[in-house]
Amino acid sequence: MSNIAGKAYAINVITPLRWYLAWVNKIIFWVALKFPQYLKGLITLSLIHYARWVIIGRKQFPHLHPDQPKEDLKYGYMLFFSNFNGSWDQYIDSFTFSIPGGLDLFWKWSVRYPHSVALTPFHDYIRYNQVETNHYYSAYPLATSNDVKAARKLKAMLIDFDNKWHDAPDAEFQKHYNKLLLGLQHDLGDMRPTPIVSMAAAAVDKRRVRDLRKAAQHTVAAMEEM
Amino acid sequence: MGSNVSGKAYALTILSPIKNAYVAGVACADTVRDQLENWNLLQNSPMARVPQTYLARLFVLDDVFTQSLPGAGALDTVSDFLPAVPDGIRRAALPTPDHLKSKYLVFSIDFHGELEPYLRGMWQAIAPEIQSVWQHCYGFDAVSDAEDFVAYMKKCQLTAALFFVGSNDDPLGEQLKALYLKQEFSRFALESQGLPTAELKKRYQEFIARVKPTDLTGPAWTPGQYALLKHSDARQEAAL
Repeated sequence: MSNIAGKAYAINVITPLRWYLAWVNKIIFWVALKFPQYLKGLITLSLIHYARWVIIGRKQFPHLHPDQPKEDLKYGYMLFFSNFNGSWDQYIDSFTFSIPGGLDLFWKWSVRYPHSVALTPFHDYIRYNQVETNHYYSAYPLATSNDVKAARKLKAMLIDFDNKWHDAPDAEFQKHYNKLLLGLQHDLGDMRPTPIVSMAAAAVDKRRVRDLRKAAQHTVAAMEEM
Repeated sequence: MGSNVSGKAYALTILSPIKNAYVAGVACADTVRDQLENWNLLQNSPMARVPQTYLARLFVLDDVFTQSLPGAGALDTVSDFLPAVPDGIRRAALPTPDHLKSKYLVFSIDFHGELEPYLRGMWQAIAPEIQSVWQHCYGFDAVSDAEDFVAYMKKCQLTAALFFVGSNDDPLGEQLKALYLKQEFSRFALESQGLPTAELKKRYQEFIARVKPTDLTGPAWTPGQYALLKHSDARQEAAL
């Protein structure tokens, strides 16, 4: 199981939808897509890298071969995949506290959805319908979503500053360098690895420690033989 | 009605049905799961070699879940808790158990660019890893090259009802260069505080010559990099 890749957490939630309500849910997503102002609440959750909702009709599971049994499902299903920073509880709670109405609008069509308030039944529902990830990869495990956004701004401002003031007289350079730092004060900051960046990194570290220990044991044994 | 695209970012969602079969006494779904778990023990994920991949996840979906806890609907509550409701009615009101007949390999990726070039790039980068996992899926037997792979994946693809991009949709190389610059410039700003202007400018020019902000082929983070560069570490240690 590997829900973590550095600072990103992968959540997968699968919830059943009554087939005749799946369309209502699709229309709500379509409205949100066409009128992004409805996603303002989601944008405030700056801890999200990427998220998606997928609705599968009860007869829409991929069927690729005559030997594959055809599904005979009573419900359609909604899949929710998100990549976020922080812990599971922080993420779920931030949804509840920031955008409870929007959250309910997306999920209220799911069977036995308890609504996002109160918190405990909502936690139970998500946990019950969550599937663990077997392998998770992030291209930038050292960075959060906010780091990615800040880095884009920093890169653009640094290049712009360099184009204009690289060889400027000292006084001009200092003045605009200070302006640059002032403009970037929310975007600067060191990024460091989390204690466990990924299962792969943890395994590599474990092997490295084991190899060092074995090498030390060999050295001691060789010295004792001398 | 939905869309897999947001700006230049693409949300690919794949459900590949896994064969209901056993090989040497082991279910194909368990073999797939084992192989994916083994990817966790490699130096880095095979997906690090697939160009333009932001984030990717793979898991085996064994079944769907039966909902039996009370929900928030008025009828749910009434049917579950009113002692006056006969047991037969109460049970009939419970959601029906639902089960999949196949297990599915779920593959979800966020990447920069368009679908077909991405999938071709994926095949070119990690075809052996793809074959070792997907060979246990229905319909993959006919896949032998990049074009077959593209066609196969399209058959397994589901459309996102809503795709939300919370960071940005720049090419991965741009993002990794930007993160590298953020790390290095933050350190430069910290270390050069209070320097006389002439010295600051000299060090800044050396800094720019080293980090090459506009050169994507110059120094940058690499895909999947989970430890800081030795240079940065050395500088950090020296600063402490």
